[in-house]
Amino acid sequence: MQTLPNSLPTQVSFKGTSEGLKLLVPVELAWDEVILQLQQRLNAGERLWQGGAPVILEVKDRLLDGPQLQAIDALLAAQQLRLVKVRTLRRQTAVTAAVNGLSVDQTDSTPPKDPSNPEPLYVHTTLRSGMRIAHPGPIVLVGDVNPGAEMVSDGDILVWGTLRGLAHAGANGNANALIFALRLQPTQLRIADRVARAPDTPLATPQPEVAYVSENTIHICYISEYTRRR
Amino acid sequence: MSGKVIVITSGKGGVGKTTTTANLGMALAARGKSVVLVDADFGLRNLDLLLGLENRVVYTVLEVLSGDCRMEQALVRDKRQTSLALLPAAQTRDKSAITPEQMKEITGRLSETFDYVLVDCPAGIEQGFRNAIAGAEQAIVVTTPEVSAVRDADRIIGLLESAGLKGPRLILNRYRPQMVEAKDMMSVEDVLEILAVKLLGLIPEDEQVIVTTNRGEPIVLAANPPPAGQAYLNIARRLEGEDVPILEFKVPNNGFMAKIRALFSGR
Repeated sequence: MQTLPNSLPTQVSFKGTSEGLKLLVPVELAWDEVILQLQQRLNAGERLWQGGAPVILEVKDRLLDGPQLQAIDALLAAQQLRLVKVRTLRRQTAVTAAVNGLSVDQTDSTPPKDPSNPEPLYVHTTLRSGMRIAHPGPIVLVGDVNPGAEMVSDGDILVWGTLRGLAHAGANGNANALIFALRLQPTQLRIADRVARAPDTPLATPQPEVAYVSENTIHICYISEYTRRR
Repeated sequence: MSGKVIVITSGKGGVGKTTTTANLGMALAARGKSVVLVDADFGLRNLDLLLGLENRVVYTVLEVLSGDCRMEQALVRDKRQTSLALLPAAQTRDKSAITPEQMKEITGRLSETFDYVLVDCPAGIEQGFRNAIAGAEQAIVVTTPEVSAVRDADRIIGLLESAGLKGPRLILNRYRPQMVEAKDMMSVEDVLEILAVKLLGLIPEDEQVIVTTNRGEPIVLAANPPPAGQAYLNIARRLEGEDVPILEFKVPNNGFMAKIRALFSGR
């Protein structure tokens, strides 16, 4: 078993707010990863916003240069989204944004997050071989998780589709975490530091199932049974 | 005028990318379209062989880029279909000999004069792949009904989508209905359930494809194309926007070939 990571990096994510669509770009992500994740979010979330929606880019301590800012703007523009404002804690990024004709806000809008209760990530996509979603909060994925794809969360994982790849819930050691799927045919399931394979013969008539830890091993049962028992 | 730039890719090697490129190019040319095939497989070029044009290659895309020859000089015109041309890759170099930007420039220039620019992508997900998709606006993914090929196709579809090439279409190659019937091979439905993309064509396994490939005469050129050749001709029609139903190759009681003959007897 691999050693458990201390904390999962936050993902590039969109958030609807009263002032518009907020695009959160975490400080610690490598730039290539930022662009990849942004493209994935944009490809997946077409229905979630309307054309011409204003976007506020929130980057906290992250340093952004002109070409990077323009790259983000171009990706957003391709989806008819308008970058209007950059919220940053760094003077240099603020200057870059202003030079590029964007309004700038140098305050921190979000109150410090409660680390014990991270926000869920909602994704609408097919997670294909080689793709990985890692997020500290619960993950809700609408679509299939294909073999060769990975989902890692410190909380629960819910797949509104077929889970054929690998899912790791409670990755920080929380054995109470759960994995839900409409069709559970995973390559492998992990909850905290336990590992399980799916039964070799899938259900003839698939039903939504949940994986949980009991007596130190991972069990799987129908969601209907699980909720009845609780 | 601006032609379509389509990349033909797969991830895994040996599933039939180059054969598909050669046959689709030939089929589109036979429909009166001007087509150029771009071999992006630097160091392992095969497309000229499949087309039987190897001994007519003089310049490659590298000489075009360096300005040592004009584009028209590098293009090899097909001896059978004059509306078909090949832009050869450099066999003595590797994938790093060209950049994605240069590839984009080349396909962009070609699309000004040709109806179709088909790019034959090398196997893998490294630079050769990134070069091949750089200038493309559409993608065709070729796979066979094997778990490894389907897994790699899934990865490729993910990479195409995150590169902005949306809605890639699938060609399922070397399909063997008898094996599917016996549950020894993934069915069309099994493959589509995982890959969740649109099916562009279904090519049955056919020894004739190997024979014609070795001879440098794509199978669509046959006077009476066998089912595999007919399937390629149908894909060309679908690319042209025609609504041609996918031929489902089921095994009937009276034998597979009888059913296939029956399917085409009406043509």
